[in-house]
Amino acid sequence: MIGENTRLPTNRIDMLIEIDSVFGNSPHRPDTVTGSGSVGKKASATCCMARPTVRRSTAAARFRRLKEFPLSNRLFTCLVALLSASIVSCSSANNRSDHQLVLTGSSTVAPLVLEMAKRFESQHPGVRVDVQTGGSSRGIADAMRGLADIGMASRSLREEEYELHAFAIARDGVCVILHRDNPIEALTDAQIVAIYSGEIVNWSDVGGHDAPITVVNKAAGRSTLELFLEYFDLSSTEIRADVVIGDNEQGIKTVAGNSNAIGYVSIGTAEFDASAGIAIKLLPVGTVAASVDNVATGSFPLSRPLNLVTRSEPNGLAATFIEFARSDSVHDLIREQYFVPIVP
Amino acid sequence: MADRLATIFVWSAALLVTSVFLWLLGGIVWSGAGQLSWSFLIDSPRNAGRAGGIGPILISTGLLLLVCLGVSLPIGLGTAILLAEFTSSTNRFGRLVRWSLDVLAGVPSILFGLFGNAFFCIFLGLGFSILSGGLTLACMVLPILIRSTEASFRSVPDEYRLGAAALGLSRTTTLLRLLLPTAIPGLIVGLVLGTGRAVAETAALIFTSGYVDRQPTSLLDSGRSLSVHVYDLSMNVAGGDANASATALVLILLLLLINGTASWVMGRWLRKRLITI
Repeated sequence: MIGENTRLPTNRIDMLIEIDSVFGNSPHRPDTVTGSGSVGKKASATCCMARPTVRRSTAAARFRRLKEFPLSNRLFTCLVALLSASIVSCSSANNRSDHQLVLTGSSTVAPLVLEMAKRFESQHPGVRVDVQTGGSSRGIADAMRGLADIGMASRSLREEEYELHAFAIARDGVCVILHRDNPIEALTDAQIVAIYSGEIVNWSDVGGHDAPITVVNKAAGRSTLELFLEYFDLSSTEIRADVVIGDNEQGIKTVAGNSNAIGYVSIGTAEFDASAGIAIKLLPVGTVAASVDNVATGSFPLSRPLNLVTRSEPNGLAATFIEFARSDSVHDLIREQYFVPIVP
Repeated sequence: MADRLATIFVWSAALLVTSVFLWLLGGIVWSGAGQLSWSFLIDSPRNAGRAGGIGPILISTGLLLLVCLGVSLPIGLGTAILLAEFTSSTNRFGRLVRWSLDVLAGVPSILFGLFGNAFFCIFLGLGFSILSGGLTLACMVLPILIRSTEASFRSVPDEYRLGAAALGLSRTTTLLRLLLPTAIPGLIVGLVLGTGRAVAETAALIFTSGYVDRQPTSLLDSGRSLSVHVYDLSMNVAGGDANASATALVLILLLLLINGTASWVMGRWLRKRLITI
């Protein structure tokens, strides 16, 4: 009470509190004083000397405490109003127009489509193509729900996704490579699994020289790793790798520099480097030779399509973009990303 | 003997932490410094980021930070003042707010990303945009900012408030002229920590501000942040490692710049106050 009286009411808010505390619930004054905030603190400091035992909390006191911070209440109201106003004005301006395409999906496909989108934008002034990632499943789900104009998936459609339309823009193939001087010409799938899971550690066990096998594996997160694991039905914890590499070029250099190494890389890079004279050779899978041509026709088993997916038959801008992404004019972009263009 | 063991332990722990940091920094500088140039900072990325620079990405990151701090600073300051000055530490509402902030501070960032995607992008219709990303970041940064600011308000001695009351200052004047300046260092610490968390974020941003590496023309454009770019180049783009390191180096330099500016501002502020008071 002493504390309350030492404070001069210098603005309106304080005045209100002052009037309230004079005319209001005077029986509960001690509660107010032990209450919260700077008033409470300075008041209780002086007041507690006089009445140290008063620390009750009643509904009235709580109500009063709510009244005690009108300043920040107002601040909040202002902020909330401001925020919602800006959001409303923004969202009304954000109607998707005929000049914008949104694509979401596979992180493997996204860098390729991003480059296609840049070229598409430069050929169609005023058009914007936004490419977002999130994974193949997300791309398919977004296309299904209509959140994206086009989804991207680095796999074929599953049976339950039959209502979607898929358009392959490229293929991704992986092949097993050995050093050129290695006498082995082919390995069965079972032998490759045994080598990668550490059951076979010497080339003599598969018909080669008596030399230890250097297993070169890809770092986690690489799409080639996923495809390799999926095809050979391995999990990444089963693999006993001697060398872990990042990109395709690094894998090719590692195998070319070690005559006892085995690795797997993207087929486009491997074929280009092998024909450029780098000391590697590409192993067939089953009876199918590892070549870009076989990936392009889809006969090479260690490969997957890179698809654009739409909910309904594409029209307008989406149709134009899909047509562009499947045309010859982007084949250089596809090769730059180490994928294989589809030849009709 | 026990003392010596403790000393050895403390020193080796500190050395370990320092050497890990230096090793990490050294690795990034070693592999990234070669790529760094003025044109790297202003050019657009080409060939999925393997070539070209990070100009638009730097701008997107800056805009994201601006939105994030512009929203979180007033709200954070307001809430901190409410918690520290207008409610006692036992107040039920204050406890609820504090509890929810502590829960929020521990939520993994991917959840913020999914929330931001569902709420800002889809529900509010902002789409993949810098605004969505910045608002999501603001949600992430708020708990850190509020708790640190609140702590610094609480650490202001009660004598200040008593003195102000004795002089007959109004509560608003006390707050603006006395408590706020005294609490500024804590606010800046919270700001620096929050900025660090925001700049380092990938999971919350990939679903909200998106992946587009075009120069943003408005806050409603999708924009890629530096850390998303680093993530994409190192995990997703074969042959992007060199530019990933260079971008990581820029990210670290940016953080050091922000921290340096913050402590410089704080130092100036404190000196000015010492002279005028």
